[in-house]
Amino acid sequence: MAEIVVKYDNKVVERIVTEKRRLSIGRTNENDIVLENRGVSRKHAMIEFNDKAAIVIDNESLNGTFVNSRKVSEEVLRDDDIITIGKYQLIYNSQNSSSTDDAAGFDGTMVLNTKAHRKLVEKDRKERKLVERYGGSLLLGGENTDFSEYRIDRDVITIGKAKFVHVRAKGFWLSGIQAKIVKENDYYKLVNLGRKGKTMINGEPIDNQELKNGDLISVGKSTYKFVEGKNR
Amino acid sequence: MKVALISDIHGNLEALSAILREIEQLQVDDIFCLGDVIGYGCDPGACLDLVDKYASVKLMGNHEFAVLKRLSTDSYTPAAKVSTEWTKQQLTDRELTMIAEYQMLHEFEGITLVHSSPVAPDKWQYILSADQAEPAFDHFSGNICFYGHTHMPMIFREMPDSSPRQQTGHDFDPADDTRYLVNIGSVGQPRDNDPRACFVSYDLENSEIKFHRVEYDITKTQGKMTNAELPDVLVQRLAVGR
Repeated sequence: MAEIVVKYDNKVVERIVTEKRRLSIGRTNENDIVLENRGVSRKHAMIEFNDKAAIVIDNESLNGTFVNSRKVSEEVLRDDDIITIGKYQLIYNSQNSSSTDDAAGFDGTMVLNTKAHRKLVEKDRKERKLVERYGGSLLLGGENTDFSEYRIDRDVITIGKAKFVHVRAKGFWLSGIQAKIVKENDYYKLVNLGRKGKTMINGEPIDNQELKNGDLISVGKSTYKFVEGKNR
Repeated sequence: MKVALISDIHGNLEALSAILREIEQLQVDDIFCLGDVIGYGCDPGACLDLVDKYASVKLMGNHEFAVLKRLSTDSYTPAAKVSTEWTKQQLTDRELTMIAEYQMLHEFEGITLVHSSPVAPDKWQYILSADQAEPAFDHFSGNICFYGHTHMPMIFREMPDSSPRQQTGHDFDPADDTRYLVNIGSVGQPRDNDPRACFVSYDLENSEIKFHRVEYDITKTQGKMTNAELPDVLVQRLAVGR
């Protein structure tokens, strides 16, 4: 059974646990997940479940469907993925199901023109351009880094204090090779190799964790943003 | 037309004053009060006066019913009993007359307003689950029924198969062809783990319902309640919103 947690303004408004193979998402009450906001199309999107995966499919909605801040038309979901639709966030947790629906049109859906939505669209546009230019996943340099963009161009990227690593990090008590980014199937994961607690994703220390678009990596005092290169 | 809906003030003057300031900014046409202006808190008289001054519709809550001796407090918690007795002693004849005129239910442009439940407004039932909401949908004729009593902001939406679906209270744009039961939360004693005062605004033309949360000086209210020797459990719960 899959679970979708619906949030508005960071507050949980509904938990949906389902065994259905398809969940429709939209503004009207014939949908399985009803999001009653004029920024949401009547039939906005769909989550399809098969035995192996869950896929969110945007139904050519006016304001779009975003997964981990990336605009998508179709996207395989992973646990804890955040689907943003209008002012709502839907957090996916696995065990399978969902499908497609007919075309959207102008159906009384309002173009979202909030500051937050504009920012999301603009950020997505910029990151897509970068991904296009570099042809794959990237790290964007944050604090205490010596690059603004770093193309992840091989299956293993090492991060640490040593001179020979791919990505240099700063900070006390850091190991020579503190962490690595490793390609696994279609995804990248971040693995801690050095001192515990010095490798974090979004502020949480990790041992080994899959990276998602928009994740903030910190190694010691250095921070990097992970931009996923798959053409979402 | 835009209206503000307030409920369950419970003698909390600081919370009521704070939301009235917020409502002023919203430039609403009317304020509707869904009952329980008094009980629990230490400023029943001042709250009744403010509600009388600003609200065009005033509904009866179970706490008003109790001080008018139309309801036994036997089933009340010990703290609620103590505070009801305390409140009774504070109220003047003028205030009691004012309360006696409060309505049990009000209908307005296809909207129903009630304190506890449209099923039997004087039975003070709670609507906290879809099971409890289902019969309530058969007891109002329009599309929306606003209610209070539980202190928990909530939305029940009638689905095409007539079963209600429940969501926590949040801003939404009600559809013309769908029916709703909307709990507007509590001004003076929220119980949804958010201690901020809660009220709802409804813009009828644009069909927008918004839940507002407003901070107020909780410490001041608590100090006054402690000085009035009201039960400590009522004082403490304000800070945690439970």
